[in-house]
Amino acid sequence: MTQPKHDADVAFIKALAEMLQENDLAEVQVKRDYGDEGTINVRVSRTPPAPVVVSAPIPAPIAPAPDVSSPPSAASAEAAGDPASHPGAVTSPMVGTVYMQAEPDAPQFISVGAQVSEGDTLLIVEAMKTMNHIPAPKSGTVKRIMVENGAAVEFGTPLVIIE
Amino acid sequence: MFDKILIANRGEIALRVVRGAREMGIATVAVHSTADSDAMHVRMADESICIGPPAAAQSYLSIPAIISACEITGAQAIHPGYGFLSENASFVQIVEDHGLTFIGPTAEHIRTMGDKITAKDTMKKLGVPCVPGSDGGVPDLETAQKLGAEMGYPVIIKATAGGGGKGMKVAQTAADMQSAFHTARAEGKANFGNDEVYIEKYLTTPRHIEIQVFGDGKGNAVHLGERDCSLQRRHQKVFEEAPGPCISPEERWAIGKVCADAVARINYIGAGTIEFLYEKGEFFFIEMNTRLQVEHPVTEAIFGVDLVREQIRVAAGLDMSFGQDDLTINGHAIEVRINAERLPDFSPCPGRITQYHAPGGLGVRMDSALYDGYSIPPYYDSLIGKLIVHGRDRPEALARLDRALAELIVDGVDTTIPLFPALLAEPDIQGGTYNIHWLERWLESNLAE
Repeated sequence: MTQPKHDADVAFIKALAEMLQENDLAEVQVKRDYGDEGTINVRVSRTPPAPVVVSAPIPAPIAPAPDVSSPPSAASAEAAGDPASHPGAVTSPMVGTVYMQAEPDAPQFISVGAQVSEGDTLLIVEAMKTMNHIPAPKSGTVKRIMVENGAAVEFGTPLVIIE
Repeated sequence: MFDKILIANRGEIALRVVRGAREMGIATVAVHSTADSDAMHVRMADESICIGPPAAAQSYLSIPAIISACEITGAQAIHPGYGFLSENASFVQIVEDHGLTFIGPTAEHIRTMGDKITAKDTMKKLGVPCVPGSDGGVPDLETAQKLGAEMGYPVIIKATAGGGGKGMKVAQTAADMQSAFHTARAEGKANFGNDEVYIEKYLTTPRHIEIQVFGDGKGNAVHLGERDCSLQRRHQKVFEEAPGPCISPEERWAIGKVCADAVARINYIGAGTIEFLYEKGEFFFIEMNTRLQVEHPVTEAIFGVDLVREQIRVAAGLDMSFGQDDLTINGHAIEVRINAERLPDFSPCPGRITQYHAPGGLGVRMDSALYDGYSIPPYYDSLIGKLIVHGRDRPEALARLDRALAELIVDGVDTTIPLFPALLAEPDIQGGTYNIHWLERWLESNLAE
């Protein structure tokens, strides 16, 4: 096993782990076929404990990559549950694109930890060029924001959790 | 050609379009309500977007949700299936205004054919035979009697604002005219607030014969023969076949040419069906459907074509894959519609499918979105599948249908499957000598058990 190959694999797995976190996924599994150089089969999961499974390319085995299942502890406690079924979840009432602020240079409507009152705008879902302000259904604290600027959402996609 | 299309429908027709697009290498986007999250078309499409709650008005009929879904997925074209928004001219306009392609006819053609009076006028001008009748409303009894004498009895007096079988009265002979005329007006007034009536010739034993047409939007159009869809219950087709057992080749090519020329002249694009009542060798136009029909598979079977593929082709600006000279009939095809309804009263029966097994073998096609464990939602229509058979001739198709029905298993809900072996045992079905009243009369006398 050559060092550059090993580094490339580790970088690949790290990229998967980052993608997992950024997109709020629970698990990513990728299989890549390198032809004569064998295959790499990786599963990266957030549900602890999460062993990283790497199958070795033939002929030489590589050392298992470091455990990448360690998202920030605040998020991992809730990662196991389905955000849409959380009692404080605000889900999208329409299909569209999320904007976290009123205009590109304006500040975001909310951030984690912010206090909101019932009716306050949490974010915007844009559909067919109309900006739809999504209001807080009740007063409380923003515990989690599940989307980011420019995210595509469908009917029922969890947006924010308010407690 | 499109890279990605969105299917604005559900159930078996959404699956049909996914299959057609996939064979062309086009990526598919399924839209669905929350009730359809586990539907087969959602599973098979490349991407899916949940567009709303179960109610069709907030999901499959939600134009903003569908357009939005196109925007976020980058779909370039929308296939509307049948029903829902497929004949909604405003939707077509909005689709085009957003720079997307509607896979179907223009808004103008949908609008023209959507209004029964303008459709009839348009067809008349294009030389398509229509049911003879009054030109517009009939103001008084004297005019009505004069018309009746000219057209010949029996005639039917219809409320202009009417529908659903209300405000229609048949006058069998001149003696019935006075009573029928006044009753129709009274019903029109009572039910619709409008007592204006018109009169048409009444056909006593017509068959429902429809002609499949297809245009490329550039002034070229073909016909793909007829389908006989006379077996109907409450105006819902139940059993369709092609070619029509009572139509001669000469009749077919004559009416087919009239229809193809008519749609070619208006530069029609896409699939269309021109529906007629047929009696004693004469065709009478009733309406045109500017979309793909449920029963299109029987036409596909006898001509060896893929109509969904052709819809996508012409929408993308390509020519049709065939010209009129390429279209020759091979054999005979029959379709039966399977509904999740309980016999004998046809009450809807949604629920969970505990076992589904589709028939197979030579000449058998099952178009259905069912699978083991699927729950049929109660919010939409009850059509759960179409069984289509093809044979070298009508007797072979009938035998094949009988055999295939015996293999078909749909357990967990009640279905209308048992209706079909019973129909196949009837001499009128075996002989192809039924008309549009046949099924309801048969149901009345036979479904007491």
